[in-house]
Amino acid sequence: MPDLDSGHIFLTTFAPILDSGAQAAQPVSFTQAARIALAKMPTAMQSPATQKSGTTSPFAASKRTHLARMFVLNDTIYNGRESKNALLSILSRDDPAVSKPVDRLNTSYLVFCAEIDAVTEDGAALPDQLNAQEQRDVRRSYACSLWETMEADLRAVYVNCVGFDTVRTADDFADYLDRCHVPTTMPFHDYYLEPPAFNKLPWIWLLTLVVVPLLFTLIAFALRIFGVGSMPLIGMNTLTAFLLGLALTVGAGALAARFILSNGDKPLPPAEFDDLPSVLKSLYLQQHFADFVVEAQGSSPQDLHQQFGEFLKTHKPRDRNEPTQVPGVIDARNC
Amino acid sequence: MARSLNLHDIQGNVVRAYGRFSFPFARYFFFNISEAKAGRRFVDEVRQNVTTAARWPEQADKPQCTVNIGFTFFGLYQLEVPARTLKGMPHEFAEGMKDRAFVLGDRDVTKVAQDDPNWDEQWDQIWKDNRKPGTGGAHDVHIWISLNAQLETPGTDTPVSALEERTQWLRDLCEASNGGVRLLATQGQDGTAEYQAASAVFEQHGDISLPTPKEHFGFADGIGDPVFDGQLPETKAKDGAIGRGKFVDGKWVPIATGEFLLGHPDESQELPPSAMPPEFSQNGTFMAYRKLHENVSSFHDVMAQEAARFAKVMQISEGEADATLRAKMCGRWADGVPLAHKPTYEEWQKFRAEKDFDNKDPIKALELQMSYLRSPDASNFRYADDMPGFKVPGGAHIRRMNTRDYLDPLNKGGVDGDGKPYPNDGASHALNKRRRVLRRGLPYGASDPTQNDDTTEQGVVMMVIGASLFRQFEFVQQQWVQYGLDFHQGNNTCPMVGEHRHHQRHTIPSDPKTGKPPYVMSKLKTFVECRGGDYFFIPSMTALRMIAIGNVDPT
Repeated sequence: MPDLDSGHIFLTTFAPILDSGAQAAQPVSFTQAARIALAKMPTAMQSPATQKSGTTSPFAASKRTHLARMFVLNDTIYNGRESKNALLSILSRDDPAVSKPVDRLNTSYLVFCAEIDAVTEDGAALPDQLNAQEQRDVRRSYACSLWETMEADLRAVYVNCVGFDTVRTADDFADYLDRCHVPTTMPFHDYYLEPPAFNKLPWIWLLTLVVVPLLFTLIAFALRIFGVGSMPLIGMNTLTAFLLGLALTVGAGALAARFILSNGDKPLPPAEFDDLPSVLKSLYLQQHFADFVVEAQGSSPQDLHQQFGEFLKTHKPRDRNEPTQVPGVIDARNC
Repeated sequence: MARSLNLHDIQGNVVRAYGRFSFPFARYFFFNISEAKAGRRFVDEVRQNVTTAARWPEQADKPQCTVNIGFTFFGLYQLEVPARTLKGMPHEFAEGMKDRAFVLGDRDVTKVAQDDPNWDEQWDQIWKDNRKPGTGGAHDVHIWISLNAQLETPGTDTPVSALEERTQWLRDLCEASNGGVRLLATQGQDGTAEYQAASAVFEQHGDISLPTPKEHFGFADGIGDPVFDGQLPETKAKDGAIGRGKFVDGKWVPIATGEFLLGHPDESQELPPSAMPPEFSQNGTFMAYRKLHENVSSFHDVMAQEAARFAKVMQISEGEADATLRAKMCGRWADGVPLAHKPTYEEWQKFRAEKDFDNKDPIKALELQMSYLRSPDASNFRYADDMPGFKVPGGAHIRRMNTRDYLDPLNKGGVDGDGKPYPNDGASHALNKRRRVLRRGLPYGASDPTQNDDTTEQGVVMMVIGASLFRQFEFVQQQWVQYGLDFHQGNNTCPMVGEHRHHQRHTIPSDPKTGKPPYVMSKLKTFVECRGGDYFFIPSMTALRMIAIGNVDPT
């Protein structure tokens, strides 16, 4: 289930940051410079301080980004020396007084992760399935849209990364981000209104596929041990039958395992209403509908009917695009 | 438990809510230490009179007036407790309650600090001066001492003379310190009181004055306090844990001692982190002291407005509407009967008649009510069988303060084919038992409701005790009182004690079978507001001795 799940792409990219030691003298390292650029990039309007600043995250210009995160990954976390049972250490001649190598990253990385609608046009319907090329197209389209809306912010950060010096256009940035792309194996989706239709495994068929040849093999083995030369009914030599059964069991097991893994790889279909425009609209509606309920409490059926008609006219529940909550705020009334 | 607690080593206020042990009066004193040696001498004098948790009467005589003591972080610093011990103290304790105002909702969470410089305008002078930058700690609160006193004569509202004698004793100790320890006489809204007085709300019946379990909004209070392992004698522990402990394998058992006392295993089967040396921390705990003002006029005005609308929407009398709304805000009817047991007005009225709560003799009526409130029946209920909140609304006060089994992730919302909520009989308290707090304290202010309005001084002096202020008190305050997400209430805060500057709603679900619509209260005001306080370490008797003799060896 890498990258694509529930109609969303869980984008993960790692851009290596330039090694300051290998470059001309400069006041700050490239890693520091990347962190400074990130610190200057506004976050969404989600706290009193950011609301007061009046500037919002450049990612809020996107109608596809559910969540974006950009940070510097300095190194792996060293968990200390791998522990081992004292007796096993002696037997394997692992001398605890001798230091072991410590795993390190070869450089720091600029990590950019985003959960986005897997579409190439804002507001398009979320897909069930995309092949590798189609996924690449989604990533490319997203990279281009970012470049078009936040080129200066991207440049300020990525200028500190290896290979970015050749990026001039949106297409260049899309190529660059594609080179940095790392498939993820842990998407996380949280918009389900009800449990999704999981890709269930046909357990009975899978077990039958493996258990039948296994039984055949065991019977042949038992008969051979007890000196029976040929299989009852089919007359095959028990040794041949055992070897054949064994080969079939292993083959069936491998097939079943492959099927199980490929089933796990299959993305789940999109849930209802979980493209970004729908999510924003539902946040907008939730807040205004709560206001409406409070206002309309105790109204007569006639008044209620008329008030609800006005509510529908004003807030257009079926129109995903407007009126709606803008991205990057937590209260529709702040729009 | 295999081994009993060393109750002689634990301060009595941790184990007992004195108000429930016939101590309806209290005085809370705060002191500043400017000279360490004088401070230690003061502590040494006080500690010899501290009331421990030893059981009355078999382990110790019940005093006329109790004495308990605690220290702020800077109090310990002034007493020269070593740096290594101090650095083992939790960060929130070191920062103090004032610095935590944003987390606690005591200041406007929609504003940045520099736009809200006077957020503590309503605090009492003593708390405004406490930890004030630029004062060098001259007015900081370092020591908290509480005195709780019994009645002089039943039927009156006069405390025993020991209360004033102990007060004078504290004054004398300060006098003897030659300015090394100063009583901070800047309490109260006028900033002139020597101490914060508190007492039960008394009701006058002819010539007889009776202490009630009520606070100033008229609700019976302090019913569902948690029970921990070793707190109660074995004979009382089984019943005591019902509804007040945790539910495990179909029965109620006490909560682990380490949730409320340092140096004992807690509910995650760990020793809570604590300062060195172990004997300094063991049997000690932390306490948040909060003076909570009650805006009684606002409360009654809002209730009158809401009740009128609720009565119209539900087509019931305003009297029934008022009582029902209050219950739906609290989770209990005003007399303490849980909504979980008696969800409708009719059932409640019938129950009151059965229990004879309206007996002509007020003493008898009060006895019957108190006896019920102290029985397991008053606390033995759950929420997992009421996920839609038909009985107790999801956002009600008691559902927030103690979530019981509501947060079990296997609880199922909605209703079955017959319109009944799903029961989940084995629902667990796993997400609640690490968030419990012991509540101590008493109301303050005039007992006569006609004398009280928003501007007069009345409320509750609340002391919240737990092994971790951060994990227990602050979490409950921030996530459950001042926010509603865990209860599917969005930004709505606790209808009774929450901050309502920005969020004024409380939703009351309705069982569709009744044919009545749900109701949303929408005019809530901030009924309870903090008037100051701080965080205190409540040491064991051993730690008090170590502090007093100036020998805390953290190595």
